[in-house]
Amino acid sequence: MNGSMLVFGLINTLFVLLLSPFFMSLIKKVKAYTQGHHGPPLLQTYYQIGKLLRKETVYSVNTSVIMRMSPLINITFLLAASLFVPLIFVPDPSSGIGNLILFLYLMVVAKVFMALGGLDAGSTFGGMGSSREMSFSAIVEPVVIIVFAALAFVLGTTNIHEMFALTSHSSFFSNPTILLISFALFIILIVETGRIPVDNPETHLELTMIHEAMILESSGPNLALMEISHAVKQTLLMGILINILAPWGLADHLSTGGVVLGIVAFAGKAAVLAVVVGIFESAMAKMRLFRLPMLFMLAYAFSFLTVLLDLLS
Amino acid sequence: MNTALFLVGSCLLLAVFPVALVLPRARIFRLQPALWLILLGNLLITWFSLDIFIHDKILDIDLYQLLPGLEISFHIDRLASFFISIIVVVSICTAIYSTSYVHHITGRIRQRLSIALMSLFVLSMVGVVAASNTFTLLFFWETMSFSSFLLVMTEYEQPQTLKSGLFYFIMTQFGTVFLLFAFVLSYTITGSFDIAPLSGASSFEQSLVFVMLFIGFGTKAGVIPFHKWLPYAHSASPSNISALMSGVMIKVAIYGMVRYLLFVLDPEPWWGIMILVFGLVSALLGVIYALKEPDLKKMLAYCSIENIGVILIGLGLNLIFTNQGLDELAFLSLAGALFHTLNHALFKSLLFMIAGSVISVTGTRDLTQMGGLIKLMPKTGLLFLIGAAAVSALPPLNGFVSELMIFQSFLQSFDIRSDFIHILMLIGLSLFALTSALAAATFVKAFGMIFLALPRSEKARGAHEVAGPMLVGPLILAILCVLFGVFSYQISRYLDFPIEIPNMMLISIIMIFNMVIIFGLLRLFANRTSRTAETWGCGITWQHSTMEYTPSGFSYPLVRVFTPIYRTRESIRKTFADRRDAIVAGGKAQLRTFHFFEESLYMPIAHAVERISRRISNLHNVDLDIYILASFLTVIILILVMGWVL
Repeated sequence: MNGSMLVFGLINTLFVLLLSPFFMSLIKKVKAYTQGHHGPPLLQTYYQIGKLLRKETVYSVNTSVIMRMSPLINITFLLAASLFVPLIFVPDPSSGIGNLILFLYLMVVAKVFMALGGLDAGSTFGGMGSSREMSFSAIVEPVVIIVFAALAFVLGTTNIHEMFALTSHSSFFSNPTILLISFALFIILIVETGRIPVDNPETHLELTMIHEAMILESSGPNLALMEISHAVKQTLLMGILINILAPWGLADHLSTGGVVLGIVAFAGKAAVLAVVVGIFESAMAKMRLFRLPMLFMLAYAFSFLTVLLDLLS
Repeated sequence: MNTALFLVGSCLLLAVFPVALVLPRARIFRLQPALWLILLGNLLITWFSLDIFIHDKILDIDLYQLLPGLEISFHIDRLASFFISIIVVVSICTAIYSTSYVHHITGRIRQRLSIALMSLFVLSMVGVVAASNTFTLLFFWETMSFSSFLLVMTEYEQPQTLKSGLFYFIMTQFGTVFLLFAFVLSYTITGSFDIAPLSGASSFEQSLVFVMLFIGFGTKAGVIPFHKWLPYAHSASPSNISALMSGVMIKVAIYGMVRYLLFVLDPEPWWGIMILVFGLVSALLGVIYALKEPDLKKMLAYCSIENIGVILIGLGLNLIFTNQGLDELAFLSLAGALFHTLNHALFKSLLFMIAGSVISVTGTRDLTQMGGLIKLMPKTGLLFLIGAAAVSALPPLNGFVSELMIFQSFLQSFDIRSDFIHILMLIGLSLFALTSALAAATFVKAFGMIFLALPRSEKARGAHEVAGPMLVGPLILAILCVLFGVFSYQISRYLDFPIEIPNMMLISIIMIFNMVIIFGLLRLFANRTSRTAETWGCGITWQHSTMEYTPSGFSYPLVRVFTPIYRTRESIRKTFADRRDAIVAGGKAQLRTFHFFEESLYMPIAHAVERISRRISNLHNVDLDIYILASFLTVIILILVMGWVL
């Protein structure tokens, strides 16, 4: 753990934490516009988190220590995972930070505890949410790993920091297959953050929800932590897609100018991506649950194709 | 010094027999001293094996010569001492656990016998691993099989146990036959029983020995399709025995494979691919069956099959990489396989012990009957959570680190020259990821259904925390699970293994730091008041356990996606009251899971064997003429064959 790493950790974590809620409301805003109304203000998610933090927590009588632990564990693991995705500048390599598999599994821990929290209250909705979340995250797992394997294969490393360092020095014209992977990464972003066509967070029937059903019993500060974690996870996945496809502005070492440029560049690019996600969501209808594996297969095929193309060349 | 430690430890284990069975009648004094003896003997052997492992020593012990060429002798090197350490550490924890658990076994004599056999079982496993020749190996192998068979039969009055025990015994002897073939074959090649390189064997002979050994060891390890005994034997035996069998015994078979592949045989290119494929199939099918299984112990048994698959994947990768000349990756995958062997021994015996605790207080093995236990037995629940997290490969625990090594070796295989193997790697990688994710789903379900929400039956409502020793045994294993995960990087450096793994200690420190800060901020700035209320139920006035999600409901989405694998057979017959088939008058619907391996593989073979043996036994019952004819024909054939050969 050297100095550069320490500074990186602080800046990156704070940046993710502070900026993430913005993209949540931005996507909502875009969706509202396409539906013909104005929608909530751009800072709505911040207001909401602030309000939740001031409210009291209501626990179900059936819950156990799991319900009390899971929000904290959730955000802890996601913040640890955020160190693996440099958003502003890429620090000097440090042992193990940036390992692809560790990154994916830190997110899995968060997911597992969220699912346990969903089961804890004994509510049918929570059980349903957990069951679906675990099922579909299991089915999407091979896709995720093959997408990252394709990335590792094309870029020749399994460390996310090194990947970004490589992409920031070359454009995707030198590695055209990156375009194909980006498509697969986009599908993963949609699936993992529970967006249409996989999950609809805005429906008024709990029966059709996945993510919202699991956190139905959370309240007050606990719910605030869950909301922040969800936003952080979305930013991380967006960050990977952005820094693989369009790493412009990502600084390769620590400097004041680089950091400022990095912050501005990332915020801009992520806002564009959020708009794209919003439009994508508005253009799609929610898929029937058991047709989702088809969507996953599409991403799988794209990544497999990437590797095949690379093998041939 | 070392030899003495080993022999004294083994003698202590043997001494359990007289102590448990023969010593004077003082009632209380028999069980506990016997278990403490097991503990002490195991501690001595642990000391001995760790010393050999850490300092990379080699020790030869010639114990007893039966005939010239046939002797009981041991050769203990780093690999063997690694496996011995696994065996004894798990046995120590099992012995501690058993001091309390043994009271759940009915009958005094049965309790004593069970402890005596347990010690014999542990000793024989150590013997197999330490063996320096095939004679010694086979001797201890059969002792191991026999003592474990008797242990499985502890509750022999129950018809289910009887069936399981016999099933296990037949399968284990099936495996031994293949081992015997392989050993005799290698004896005809080298002329000695020593476990030493097969110099001068043709590649066909090598492959033949390999296939025989793979079937023999694979049967014991529970590799699909030789796995069916595992769920039966584990669900029938007492839980401390399941912990030993699943945690350790199947690893002994893995040891056999590793020993032969690394030190004896000269692997052909296709062996690695074959082991990889068997590993992938075992891992995936194992976890898919575990997901659906409502019986807690059977579920854990299927999960063992999955983990054996993971170990084989690592082993197969090692052979493939060695063959491709990628030595670093070969080492990484082998280290992953061996580390996973250790980890699986730790967390699976932990889980089986906890399962034993849960079953002993609720009196049921059915997940559907449990629920809400974390409020009644919080310590047990927390230990199960650690075990479940380790088996689901959650960082920073040990199960994650070993799976990470295997993932890394898959991912870093850029330099492979063969396109075929490249594609195989990609397919293998995605199936491996699927396995790992399904394991997480399985254990979220298991933990959720056993410990969370409301109890689903009267039995679960009456549960209570178990006695001290039944917590201490698993607790040691849980602590080891955490230590081997968090300090994996430091351990690999200490042992001087050139493998690149992330520093889990660093990540853990970062996470603890984050957690403390967030917790502190919440304490300072957020609303700290809380109250309890009913679970929100969409308007219902009270909540009942029948409204909860059930285990089968939880796994339904995955079961539905994997329908072709489960091969559920539905048959619906309806009778109608009118001619247009509109009004249903009655009918019959049936839902049955088709046991593919049992019904399409095992039973046909068993029936064929039965038919052949009936034919042969028919010969015995006929008159003298047939016997004379048979002898006459034999002589003719002998003359012809001899004339042709000579």
